[in-house]
Amino acid sequence: MTDLLRRLMRTPQGAIGLILLAVLAAACLFGPWLAPHDPEKMDFLGRFRPLGAQNWFGADQFGRDVLSRLLVGARSTLPMALAATLLGTVAGAVVGTASAYLGGRWDEAIMRTIDAVMAVPGLLLALLLVSTLGNGAGNAMIAIAVTFAPGMARVTRAVALTVRGQDYVKSATVRGESASWIIFREMLPNVMAPVVIEATIRVSFAVMLFATLSFLGLGAQPPASEWGLMVAEARQYVHQAPWILIAPSLAIALTAIAFNLLGDGLRDAMNPRDER
Amino acid sequence: MTAVLSLRDYTLDYLTGSRPLRVLQDISLDIAPGEVLGLVGESGSGKSTLAWAIMRHLPKNARELSGTIRLGETDLRSLPPRALTRIRGRRIGMVFQDPSTALNPTLTVGRQVTETLVNSRGLTRRAAWELALELLGHVELRDPEALMRRYPHEISGGEKQRILIATAFGCRPELIVFDEPTTALDVITGARILDLFARLRAETGVAALYISHDLALVSRVADRVAVMKKGRLVEEAPAASIFARPAHDETRKLVAAVPRPENRLVHDRPGDRVLLAAEAVSVRYARPRLFRPPPPPATHAVGFDIKAGEILGIVGESGSGKSSIARALTGLAEFSGGIRFDGRPIASARDMDGAYRRAVQIVFQHPDGSLNPRQTVGEILSRPLKLFGTGATDLNAEIGRLLEQVRLPAAYATRWPHQLSGGEKQRVAIARAFAAKPSLVICDEITAPLDVSVQASIIELLLALRAETGAAYLFITHDINLIRQIAHRIAVMRRGELVDLLPIDAVDADHVHPYTRDLMAASPTPVG
Repeated sequence: MTDLLRRLMRTPQGAIGLILLAVLAAACLFGPWLAPHDPEKMDFLGRFRPLGAQNWFGADQFGRDVLSRLLVGARSTLPMALAATLLGTVAGAVVGTASAYLGGRWDEAIMRTIDAVMAVPGLLLALLLVSTLGNGAGNAMIAIAVTFAPGMARVTRAVALTVRGQDYVKSATVRGESASWIIFREMLPNVMAPVVIEATIRVSFAVMLFATLSFLGLGAQPPASEWGLMVAEARQYVHQAPWILIAPSLAIALTAIAFNLLGDGLRDAMNPRDER
Repeated sequence: MTAVLSLRDYTLDYLTGSRPLRVLQDISLDIAPGEVLGLVGESGSGKSTLAWAIMRHLPKNARELSGTIRLGETDLRSLPPRALTRIRGRRIGMVFQDPSTALNPTLTVGRQVTETLVNSRGLTRRAAWELALELLGHVELRDPEALMRRYPHEISGGEKQRILIATAFGCRPELIVFDEPTTALDVITGARILDLFARLRAETGVAALYISHDLALVSRVADRVAVMKKGRLVEEAPAASIFARPAHDETRKLVAAVPRPENRLVHDRPGDRVLLAAEAVSVRYARPRLFRPPPPPATHAVGFDIKAGEILGIVGESGSGKSSIARALTGLAEFSGGIRFDGRPIASARDMDGAYRRAVQIVFQHPDGSLNPRQTVGEILSRPLKLFGTGATDLNAEIGRLLEQVRLPAAYATRWPHQLSGGEKQRVAIARAFAAKPSLVICDEITAPLDVSVQASIIELLLALRAETGAAYLFITHDINLIRQIAHRIAVMRRGELVDLLPIDAVDADHVHPYTRDLMAASPTPVG
């Protein structure tokens, strides 16, 4: 693990991605203490106050400090996106590997079902699920996980098919190992590398999808300072006070970039042929 | 007359994690025009690295410390990459070990051959096509016109290697580097490729560096032979004399490791009890589809029996169905017909219960693929012990005992497969098979990817294990000299059929199948 980190730090993408993520993690962990103001404290004299010494990133339509809201909001945005991705990845990886292992009619049935689910656009599927399950951050997370799982299952199955042809899997079959042992202990560890990389890239999609759901009013509810919700609330004031919109948008973009860079870095660092 | 290729004091390191690893040390050699220099040595001795250094295609972590590489008057080390692309193909050609990966699967054969000719000889497309037809006809390929329009997956491995060799010679380079061009092919195809090589060389007079671990083969094609050990050239002598009168210990070791059919390693006779009998086993890979006729079966009604403690060899060219038999016996492939094990009938893979799976073990050809890269040696060996509950109380002690049984230190239990050499990995795979205390072990070409000296030690190990445990072996191979050393009986397969099943002392008799006779004749005579 430390070896992986060392190799990750050696590539520029990996190093920048890790540093950005460290900043984001700090915001998640210590946000409320770092915030200069109370994120929900209104100040009617300070409405739409531009960037300056009093409010570094300006103030919004109620005079609330934008920087404080961003720092506190990191907590309700990033862990949700991470959890949704993790859930979707784990479910997808297990289904994909199992499908590749079972083969034949089972594989056909599982993959065609996944095709059918994937035919519905991701956002639409998430909307459908949230409107069935009810509004709220937790349900939005489940919806995103379900949206991600089919794609992950496909990626995993492609890798697992090549692993399935390996002699160590045949050897386990010949030994009479159970299907669950072969799937979880022989195959899954060997398909993890590409799956982990795919997952890091998907975290940024999750952040954006989560922001979109909140933007549409189906995810986090006001007065929460979730980033997507902040963008949604700010859009009417874009001409008066653009910073209310730009600051959370930038935060979302930065998160997306950080995870993408980490994914690129991981791809290089996890390549065992790369002996540098 | 100046040499075509000349290396002087060439030294190369690979930068690895902790410290640089010396791969080539003070290599000096010359190849005169029209000469073939054979290069032999164990795996890991630096043969292939030397070939890549000559081709100027080294990995990023290679550091050249000193020395020169000259092609005629050109100093290859000082050339920029752009100039090197003009040298490769035009002045140096290369033929690789595995023809199946050397051709681009998405382009037709004709397109690839003509493209090479256009690039290296500056011909027009039309002229290149004509020349390609002539070249392919010249290497005894039937109907070159049709062949040129096919894709690589539509032709056999032997045909691919012929095409690659024809193209390499057709570019009229000064030097061709051959990196084990026949290792991936079966005996008969390999022998034909060698005849072709000799003929083309006599016609064109091109110089060649011929890398191989097969001594018999090198002594047949090369004028001079150089022996490498751990990155150094230890001996260099004319091919006619080097193996007959080896001067250096390494050469002597290589010669001693070559299997000789007259030197029998097994002297006992197996018992009379039939352990496993295959009755009319046919393996068919694809199911019949609605609109497509079913493909022909991989084996047609093959029947044989193995007695307790017997070594039965199965030989035949690639695609003859040898491995399909192994897959059927282990339940990896669907089969029709029946198997009788210890008197118990087994009609399909579903009938193979724990007792059968314990008693019949398989060792695969490629040790890299048969060990899970994410499990330590200890974990790999612990599975069969747990699964077949051999009554061992202390698992770690049992793993240590298994490792010692295959002559590996017990401390290897904590190692990962990628930290082991090819021979060591194969030993672990053998230990895994013997962990189940089997009565039959199927060895599917287990020595093919190993070089001669490692191969000899693996065979020695297998025979020692047999003496200890009394297990029978079903030994699938294409090395006829090797199988004649150890087998009690030999089964000869061709196109899915069993053509001969002979006791070992009858293989030279007159009444054998003509194909068996061809196979015996094609296997190279051992050197020395």
